[in-house]
Amino acid sequence: MAMTKSQRQLNFSIFRYLVLTFWLFIVAFPIFWMVGTSFKPDIEWFAWPPVYITENGTLQNYLVVWADASEYSESVHTQSLQRPWEALGNSTLISLISTTLAVLFGSVLAYGVSRYQILSEGRMFQLLMLRMVPPIVLIAPISIWYRALDLLDSVPGLVMLYFITTLPYAVWMSKSFIDEVPREMEQAAEILGASKWQTIWEVVLPLVRSGLVATFLFILILTWSEYLMALLLSKTNVVTLPIELSKYQGSTEGRVYGRQAALSVGITLPLILVGIIIRKHLVRGFSFGMVRR
Amino acid sequence: MSTTDASGIPASASPGNKRQVTREQGIRRFKWTVLTPLILLMAFLLLPAFLLQGYFSFFAFSIFDAGDSSGFSSYFKASEWVGLDLWKDAFSDTKFFNAILRSLLFSAGTTVCCFVLGFGLALLMYRPFRGQGFYYVFFILPMLTVPIVIAYTGEMILYQNGPLNDILSRITGQRVMFQFLYAKEVALTTIMFLETWNWTPFSFIIMMAGLASLPKEPQEAAQILGASKLRIFWEVQVPLLRPVILLALILRFLEAMAEFPKTWGLLQGGPGSATETIPIYIFLNAWQYFDISYGAVLSYIVMFLMIFIIMGAIWLLRREKKNLDDMYQAPNQEG
Repeated sequence: MAMTKSQRQLNFSIFRYLVLTFWLFIVAFPIFWMVGTSFKPDIEWFAWPPVYITENGTLQNYLVVWADASEYSESVHTQSLQRPWEALGNSTLISLISTTLAVLFGSVLAYGVSRYQILSEGRMFQLLMLRMVPPIVLIAPISIWYRALDLLDSVPGLVMLYFITTLPYAVWMSKSFIDEVPREMEQAAEILGASKWQTIWEVVLPLVRSGLVATFLFILILTWSEYLMALLLSKTNVVTLPIELSKYQGSTEGRVYGRQAALSVGITLPLILVGIIIRKHLVRGFSFGMVRR
Repeated sequence: MSTTDASGIPASASPGNKRQVTREQGIRRFKWTVLTPLILLMAFLLLPAFLLQGYFSFFAFSIFDAGDSSGFSSYFKASEWVGLDLWKDAFSDTKFFNAILRSLLFSAGTTVCCFVLGFGLALLMYRPFRGQGFYYVFFILPMLTVPIVIAYTGEMILYQNGPLNDILSRITGQRVMFQFLYAKEVALTTIMFLETWNWTPFSFIIMMAGLASLPKEPQEAAQILGASKLRIFWEVQVPLLRPVILLALILRFLEAMAEFPKTWGLLQGGPGSATETIPIYIFLNAWQYFDISYGAVLSYIVMFLMIFIIMGAIWLLRREKKNLDDMYQAPNQEG
C-alpha cells in the first residue's frame, strides 16, 4: 500500500517535470530566438536551414541600433525618425509618471473605499469600464479633442490617458491589500492626533508596500507596452519604444530581423528585470479581492 | 457608574454627537478631495470625446474634407448632416458583423486556452517542489514581453524559412513551408496562439493566487471521508475557486476583445479580411480610410455592445463576491 502510494507520487513527479519542461520550452523559445537573432550577422537572418546558435556572433546589430545613429538611419528607410534613446527616454518618463500617479491615486481611493465606502460597490465595478471598454472606440474623438487642446504628440496627453485606463486595476489591486490591514494601527494613529492623510501616508501605505510594488509592476507592464494610443496620439515628437520598433514595418528594404531583434531586446529587458526582482509579490496582487485568507 | 441620570446622558452624548458630526464631515471632505480630481479628469478628457463622437456620427466628416487648414473649427465647418444614414450603413455592413463575430471567437478561444493552460500549470505547481521558483520565473516571462515585440518575434519564428517550419520539417522528414501568417484559413488561429502565449501567465498567476488561498480543512475532511483526488478537485476545490475562476475568465475575455498590437503589427487585418477583428476594423475605417464619421458610428455600436457585455460580467462578479462575503461572515461551521 505504502509502496504504491510512493510509486504514484514518483509518477506524478515525473509527469510534472515533463509537462513543465515542455511548457518551459514553449515559453523560452521565442525569447531565445529574439536574443539569438539579435547577435546574428545579416546573412543568417533568413538562412535555410535556420541558424539556431550562431557561430559568428556579432554586436553589430546593437551598435547600429543603439549607438551609431547615422548608419542606423541608412539601414532603415524612414531615416530621421529613428531615435531609440529618445524613445527609451519617452517611454521611461511616460510610463513612470502615469504608473506612479495611478498607483498613488488608486491606493488613496482604494483606502477611502475600503474604510469609508466613498464609492459604493456598484460604482467600484463601474470603474472597471474605464479599462474594459476598448480604447479604440474613443481614440478618434480624443485625437480631435487633443488637437484642439494642443495635447497631440505630447507627454501629458499620453500620461492622462494611461492614468485613466490603468486606474481601475490600481484601485482594485491595492484595495485587496488594504482590506487586509488591521484597523487598530489606524485607530491608534487617529487617537494620537494624526490627520487622515498622515494616517494614509505614514501608516497604511507603508504596511501594504509589497502589494503596491506588485500593482506598480503590473501597471508598468501595461503602460510600457501600450501600442494603440501611442501610435495614434504621438507620432513625431513623443515616440515611445513600441512605436519606434513598429517603424520597421515601414521599412522598404525588407525586414531587418537582426536590428529589430536588437531593439526588441532593449524594450523587453527592463520589464523582465523588474519582473524577476518582484516576482514573489506578484501572486498576492492578482486576486483582486476575490480570495480570502 | 452612577452618572446614568437624566442630566448625564445629554452631557456625555452631546460632545460625542459633535465628534460624530465632525467625523462625518471629515469623511465627506476626504471623499470629495479624492473624487473631485477624478471626476474633473473624466469630464475634461472623456466627456468631450464622447460628445464629439456623437456629433460626428450624425455629421459626415472625413479628414479629406478639412483641407489644409486642419484646425479644430474647420472640422465642424467641413462636416455635413447625414442623420441616421451612417447608422443604417453600419447595421447592414456584413464586414462589420463578421468583425464582431471574429472578435468574439478570438476572445472566447484565447480565454479558454489561457485559462486551461494557466489553471493546469497552477495545479501542477502550487505545492512546493524542487525547482518551483525556476519554473515560475520562466512562466511569467511572456506577460513581461511587450506585445509588439511578440508580434515581430512571432514573424521571425513563423516565417516560411523560420525555425518552426524547420522543426516541422525535421519531424516529418520533408520540407515544410507552411504559411502560418499569410494563409487565410490559419491567420486568425496563429494570432490566437500568440495571444495565448502572451497572456497564459495572467491566468496562471490568478489561479496560483486562488489555489494558494484555499482553506485546507475541507480538502482534508474529504480525504478522510475517502473521496478520490478527482472528486476532491471537482467537488471541493473548484466550487471554492469559483470566484477566482470567473475573474480570470472575465478579465482575460475583455482584454482580448481590445487586442490590437499583435494583430495589427503582423497582418493589419489581412490576408483579405481574415484577421479583421473589431479594433482592426474600426482602425481601418477611422485611420486608413480617414472616415472619422463611419468610425464613430462603429465605435458607438461597439461601445454599447461592450457595455452590455461588461454589465453581464459585473453582474456575475458581484454575485460571486456577495456569496464569498456571506460565506466568510457566517459563523465558521467546519471548525
